[in-house]
Amino acid sequence: MSMRRERAVKLNVINEPKDSYSGGPSSLCPGCGHDLISGMIINAAWENGVEPHRIAKMSGIGCSSKTPAYYLGQSHGFNTVHGRMPSVTTGAYAINKDLLYLGVSGDGDSASIGIGQLIHAIRRNMDMVYIVENNGVYGLTKGQYSATADVGSRKRKGPSNELQPIDLCALAINLGCTFVARSFSGSRKQLTSLLRAAMSHKGFAFLDVISPCVTFNNNSESMKSFSYVKENEVTLHMADYIPHFNPVEEVDVPEGHYRDIELHDGSTIRLETISEEHDPSNAVAALTALHEADTEAKHVTGLLYFDPSKPSLAEDLDLVDKPLLDLEDSEMRPSKESLDALNSEFLS
Amino acid sequence: MEKIINDFTINIATANGTGSQSANLILLESLFDMGVPVSGKNLFPSNISGLPTWYILRLSEKGYQAPGDRTHIQILVNPDTWDDDLESLESGSVVIWNSNTKNKTVEREDVFSYPLPMTKLAKGINPKLSKLVTNIIYVGALAELLGIDQECLNLAVTKQFKGKESAIELNIQAIKSGREYFRENLEKCDPYVVAKREITQSKFFIEGNEAVALGCIYGGCQMLSWYPITPSSSIAEGIIAYIPKLRTDEDGKANLAVIQAEDELAAAGMVLGAGWAGGRGMTATSGPGISLMQEFIGLAYFAEIPSVFWDVNRVGPSTGLPTRTQQSDISMLYEGSHGDTQHIVLIPGTIEECFEFGWYAFDCTERFQTPVFGLSDLDLGMNKWACAGFDYPSVDMDRGKVVREKDVFEAFENFGRYLDVDGDGIPYRTLPGSGMDPILYRGTGHNPMGVYSEKPHDYHDLMNRLRRKIDNARDQLPPPILREGEDAEIGILYLGSMENSIQEIDDILLDFGHNVHQCRIRALPYHPEVENFIRRHKVTIVLEINRDGQLHGILRKELPDDIITRVHSVAYSDGLPPRARIYATLIDKKLKEVMQ
Repeated sequence: MSMRRERAVKLNVINEPKDSYSGGPSSLCPGCGHDLISGMIINAAWENGVEPHRIAKMSGIGCSSKTPAYYLGQSHGFNTVHGRMPSVTTGAYAINKDLLYLGVSGDGDSASIGIGQLIHAIRRNMDMVYIVENNGVYGLTKGQYSATADVGSRKRKGPSNELQPIDLCALAINLGCTFVARSFSGSRKQLTSLLRAAMSHKGFAFLDVISPCVTFNNNSESMKSFSYVKENEVTLHMADYIPHFNPVEEVDVPEGHYRDIELHDGSTIRLETISEEHDPSNAVAALTALHEADTEAKHVTGLLYFDPSKPSLAEDLDLVDKPLLDLEDSEMRPSKESLDALNSEFLS
Repeated sequence: MEKIINDFTINIATANGTGSQSANLILLESLFDMGVPVSGKNLFPSNISGLPTWYILRLSEKGYQAPGDRTHIQILVNPDTWDDDLESLESGSVVIWNSNTKNKTVEREDVFSYPLPMTKLAKGINPKLSKLVTNIIYVGALAELLGIDQECLNLAVTKQFKGKESAIELNIQAIKSGREYFRENLEKCDPYVVAKREITQSKFFIEGNEAVALGCIYGGCQMLSWYPITPSSSIAEGIIAYIPKLRTDEDGKANLAVIQAEDELAAAGMVLGAGWAGGRGMTATSGPGISLMQEFIGLAYFAEIPSVFWDVNRVGPSTGLPTRTQQSDISMLYEGSHGDTQHIVLIPGTIEECFEFGWYAFDCTERFQTPVFGLSDLDLGMNKWACAGFDYPSVDMDRGKVVREKDVFEAFENFGRYLDVDGDGIPYRTLPGSGMDPILYRGTGHNPMGVYSEKPHDYHDLMNRLRRKIDNARDQLPPPILREGEDAEIGILYLGSMENSIQEIDDILLDFGHNVHQCRIRALPYHPEVENFIRRHKVTIVLEINRDGQLHGILRKELPDDIITRVHSVAYSDGLPPRARIYATLIDKKLKEVMQ
């Protein structure tokens, strides 16, 4: 009996069932795009075989930031303050650099109140996955436009938005962010691959995920509604993630029609060309793709930009190899002799 | 004329950015080396070059460290403040002045006037550096006037310009030039002299901020995040300077992370992140920074995250007087953030306590799982104070109630992050990455298990436990320093850097006919001994360097009703370090009011 049960449950590479990665029940509106992303976070972490307790779930404030309660129940998490998740993550990282930091925020968090912290986390190339669940509105306060609302977009109630949106991907690329992708909560395959690749990246992996708000911003005049994004998504490439523990398989895509990108942990993300090939190492091409999509009121998705060469914050801090958390008391407090020596030096 | 030995105040008026600080420190160190009881205070502007700066040297056989009531010897180098400085002098004062100053002279007949062609002498030594050398000329003139030992001056110059041979030579030459000019052209006719005294205990000069920095290093600080702000920057810079020597392994890798944050909000966020992850994190800032950190301070209190914040108080509100001193952040720290809060505040009053509270703050924050503030001020933090040496931490590090091992964790019958198992209000915690009791920390309401809750009894119980936790800390925090005799009816309650003026205040009060006892508060919430002190005295004056009597307000809120009427506030602040006579006079006035 017991053997049969074991066989019935699929296990990942570290022999964990997917249940080990699930969380509590969601309290978001039924059909919320964020819940789809939570599901894909669970999948990505399970498929990558990350030890669930070695993940730290970080978030700010808002609908998106409530979601860490709904995934990875075996991970510690910190639902911090509005827009300030990056700094809390940075401090935690300084103490324990061996955890996988998975940050979730919204467009209020990232494009308004916390835009400064986002910018500086990118600047430091903090080792973390940073997801923006971007719906163009403040959901938890009942539907005010956010700074990512598109020009001409109209939410369920009130006039249309006429202010220029902040394109967080363009911002990230201009700041030299080392991993920049845009996706859509309705694109299960692409987003899961990008999430898995982001988890394999050393440095700041930025994922801007359009995630429609079914309650306040899913009407037909909205440019961040499910139907609008579905009809106006420009996919740069198909994305396939090949983990380091699996051999890279041949595919039936002809040579020259795909691009394999090796990630820091030895995994690969395979980008299959759809129409024109996109070179993710070219920041100008990435910005051009964003600009062209914007001009045509489209949403471009895929791995926009990737640069594995920059040192991450850990290298910049130049700390001892083990996490500071594991220091012995005797390493943290210099010896009595050292203080005696200082005292006599001061006196001389 | 009767000589006045080692008991006068020298005021040196210069412009900042002219090297006057070096000259002044050479004077301070030389006098100190001679065994003359001396203290120095730098009154500087928020500016890099060209604005007025004063340096006050107080020589006092009684060991008084506050600036005195008046100036006895005035050095005039800065034309911008010349007239005001000159006018404010009492009859019989000494004026040493740069006679090469355009359109400026000293015409007062009632002062001892010593004109020196400082610029000309400086140009004779080094035309290119004459602006800097000018300030060293007055050191030489003062040395000749007062009888400062040339050997001690040489030593101080060597110390000041460590290893820079040409600078040492230049400065010694300039001192001699000032000395010689004085000797050959002027005649001493005033009563002020210095005399060597036997040095009973070797001491050195060090700034409060450097002492805090060292304390933090010895407290096992693992993460420092900071945003530059006067007057606290030198705490962070001090830590950074000592890392290579004290916190770096043989491969040159540090075990203390330093992150210069984008602003104070981020600095505070990093401190919380470090504490949440199980490390010892801190930041150093001043009042404006604490204002920006308020939201995180509330989160740290409510989610019970260890975190250390040093506040080097400057004059507020707003940008205020950014380079002047005050004790005006007391209420903001004690009751920081929105909602009902109460925080532990450690308040050093001496250089030795700056070091001690530097390391103790980390033990304290991990023990009580709550933010801990160090409250220093510009006077203590940025002036040099005599120190006999720092004592090594007397106890091992206290890492608080952290469950690190699986078997310990499993021995708990029912583990809850916010469960008060021992009845002291302090729960146990596990760390991220451990896999034990993985919870989502939050600033929202939560039950003892750490799960989101808006239930009335969960919120009510939580808030009361937090109050109990901080209340229980009272008698574990540094107790007050008491100085009591037999029969005084009046108590003076004070805190922080007022320590350096209190003896002189007491002596003046004795002249006024008031015999007083002293109680220096060193931590908030206040120790039970503070209440006992108040009970032992008919009247207690709460003495503070601010306008509103912030400590007095806290006492009035928390003391038992029957003794509230015994405490009376004397609060005064004008930006300058406390001058004893001002406070003594205000106390005398208050006592006359309340003791009728």
